[in-house]
Amino acid sequence: MTQYIVRRFLGLFPTLFIIITISFFIIRVAPGGPFAREKELPPQVLENIEKKYNMDEPLLVQYGMYMYDIIRGDLGPSFRYMDRDVNYYIFNSLPASMLLGLVSLSIALVLGITSGVVSALRQNRLADYLSMSVAVIGISVPLFVIGPVLMYFLSIRLQLLPTSGWIGGRNGLKPLIMPAITLAFPYFAYIARLTRASVIEVLRSDYIRTARAKGLRESVIIFKHVLKGALLPVVSYLGPAFAGIVTGSVVVEQIFRVPGLGRFFVQSAFNRDYTLIMGTVIVFSAILIVMNFLVDIVYALLDPRISYK
Amino acid sequence: MSNQPVVPSGHDSDDAGQGVVNEFDQPVEGVSLTKDAWRRLKKNKMAMFGLVVVVIYALLSITAPILPIHSFRYQVPEHRDLPPSFTKTAGELWYERVEHRMYQLAERDGRTTLTPEQQDELADIRHRIETETAMIDGQEVKIHQWRYILGTDHLGRDMLARIIYGGQISIAIGLIGTITSVLIGIILGAIAGYVGGKTDYMIMRFVDVMYGLPYMLVVIILMAIFGRNIFNLFLALSLVSWLVVARVVRGQIISLKNSEFVEAARSMGASQRRIIFRHLIPNTAGIIIVFATLRIPAFIMQESFLSFLGLGISAPFASWGSLVSDAVERMTGAPWQLFFPAMAMTLFLFAMNFLGDGLRDAFDPHSKNRL
Repeated sequence: MTQYIVRRFLGLFPTLFIIITISFFIIRVAPGGPFAREKELPPQVLENIEKKYNMDEPLLVQYGMYMYDIIRGDLGPSFRYMDRDVNYYIFNSLPASMLLGLVSLSIALVLGITSGVVSALRQNRLADYLSMSVAVIGISVPLFVIGPVLMYFLSIRLQLLPTSGWIGGRNGLKPLIMPAITLAFPYFAYIARLTRASVIEVLRSDYIRTARAKGLRESVIIFKHVLKGALLPVVSYLGPAFAGIVTGSVVVEQIFRVPGLGRFFVQSAFNRDYTLIMGTVIVFSAILIVMNFLVDIVYALLDPRISYK
Repeated sequence: MSNQPVVPSGHDSDDAGQGVVNEFDQPVEGVSLTKDAWRRLKKNKMAMFGLVVVVIYALLSITAPILPIHSFRYQVPEHRDLPPSFTKTAGELWYERVEHRMYQLAERDGRTTLTPEQQDELADIRHRIETETAMIDGQEVKIHQWRYILGTDHLGRDMLARIIYGGQISIAIGLIGTITSVLIGIILGAIAGYVGGKTDYMIMRFVDVMYGLPYMLVVIILMAIFGRNIFNLFLALSLVSWLVVARVVRGQIISLKNSEFVEAARSMGASQRRIIFRHLIPNTAGIIIVFATLRIPAFIMQESFLSFLGLGISAPFASWGSLVSDAVERMTGAPWQLFFPAMAMTLFLFAMNFLGDGLRDAFDPHSKNRL
C-alpha cells in the first residue's frame, strides 16, 4: 500500500510537467501578445520591455528559463501589472478560492449523501420525491442561472445577504453563503442521485440479506454495511466533482465578486498576460492532480476488493 | 438497425406473438430494439413530456424566421428596458415612462403641473407614437404599435425574439457539437476496439491523458486566446467531448467482435470496413442515442457557460447564455431580462434530461420485452 502511494505520488510530477509544457506552447503560439495594445508602443520602448521579460530570446530558451524559475518556486513577473509578481497575486487570491471550493464541496457531500441515503431508504415516498426533484433542478439549471436568481431574491428582494464582497468585512461570514450554495448545488444534485442509486443497489445485495438474516439492528446494517459499499461510486465521483467546482468557481467568483483566483483566469487569457495565465493554470492543475491523487488513495483504502501491488 | 421483426431465439417468425411469454408470463411479440424501446419510452410520462417540449422548441427554432415576432436585432432606443406587457403597446409604455419621470421631476420642484415645454414634449411623443415608422426588411412598420409580451432588453430589442433566436443558436450548437463529437468518438472508438493491439493502446492512452485534463479550463484558454467565433467554439468543445463516446464504443465493439454474426460476416468475405460500419456500429446505436441526448444539454450548458464569461457567441447574435449574462448586471431594474431567458433555457435542459433518462431506461437491454 505504501509503495502504491509513493508510486502514485511520483507519477504526479510528469503529469504536471506535461500540462505546463502544453499550456506554455499553446499560449505562446497564439496570435497577439501581451504588449499588443490599441495604441502601438514606440519600437524602442517595445524592444526594452521585451528585453526585460526575456521575450527577445528564442522560444525554447524562454521555455527553459521559465521551467527553471518554476522549479525554484517563482512564477515570474506579471506582463500586464508590471509592478507585481504572479506569486503575489496567487498568494493573495488563492485562500478565498480554496475556502469557497472546500466549503462548497463539503456542503455538496454532506447534503448529497444524506439526502441520497434518505431517498433510498424511503423509496417512492414523499422524502424521496422531494429530494430527487431538488436534485433534478440542480442538474438541469446552470450555475450562472442559480447564482443571479438567488442573488435577486435573497439580496435584492429580501435583503438578507450582501450581493457581493468577501468575508472579514462588516458582514462577517455572510458573503460566503450564496457563492458556496450556488457552487455546491449541481454537485449536491449529482451526489444525491449517485448515492440513491448505489444505496438501492447495495440494499438488494446478498451480503445485506445475510446481515438481515443474522438479525442485525437496522442502524448497524445501514451505517456499517450499506454505507461502506454504497459510498465507493461517490468517492470516485469526487475527482470530477472537484474539477467541476474549480471550473465553476471561475463563474461564481465573477457573479459574486469574490476576490479569488478565478477572476484572473479569463482576464489574463484575454490580456495575453503569459505568466499570469501560466500561474493560474499551474495552480489549478496542481490542485486537481493532488485531489485526484487523494481520491485514489481513499478509494484504495475503502475498497478491499482491489489489491494494489 | 433493421426494422425487420427480431424473433426470440428458437422460434420461427410465424410463431411470433403466439405462446411466447417472458418470465412474467407477459406475451412477447417479435419487435426490433428501437420499437421495443419506443414502446417503453411511451409509458414514461416524464420522458414523453420532455419529448413534447423538445419538439416544441425545435419547431419554434426552425420556424423562427416566419413566426410573427419582431426582429431580434432591430434596436429602438425609445423602447429600452420596457417591462413585459400583453395589453399595452410599446408606445404607451414609453409614454407612461416619460410622463411618470416628468411628474417625479415636477414633484421634486414642488409643482403639481407640468411646464409648457414638458407638455409639448409629451404631445410630440404622442404624435410620434401615432405616425413614426421604420423600414424593417423592406417593410414600413409602425414600431410604437408593437407589443413586447416578454419586454425589451437594454438596447430596445424584443426579448421574445431574442430568446427564440438565442434558442436557435443554443440548440444548433448542442446538435452540431454532439454530432461532431459522436462521430469522432465512434470512429476512433470503433477502430481502437476492432483493431486492438498497439493502435488500441495508443488511442486509449491519448483518451486517458485528455480525460485527466481540467478540460473546461482548456476550453476557456483556447477561446480567450484564439478568439471567439463559432468555428473555434465548436472546435474547442468537440475536441474534448468525444472521449466518453470513444470509450463506450470501444467497449461495445470488443464485446461484440467475437460474436457469431460477425464471424458469419467474416466467413462470407466481408471487408473489415464493412464489418465495422455495417455490423458493429449499428449494434451500438442504442447507447449512442442515449449518450447523444444527454450530451446535447451538456453542450448547451457549456456554450452558455462560455458565453457567460464573454467567450461565446458575440453580438448581435445571442445564445441563452449570453442573454442571461447580459441581464445579470441589470437585474435590479429589469428582472424580466434575467428570468425569461433563464426559464426558457432551464425548461429545455429539464426536458432534454428527462428525455435522456427515459431513453436510457428504454434502451436498457435488461428491460427487453418487459412492459
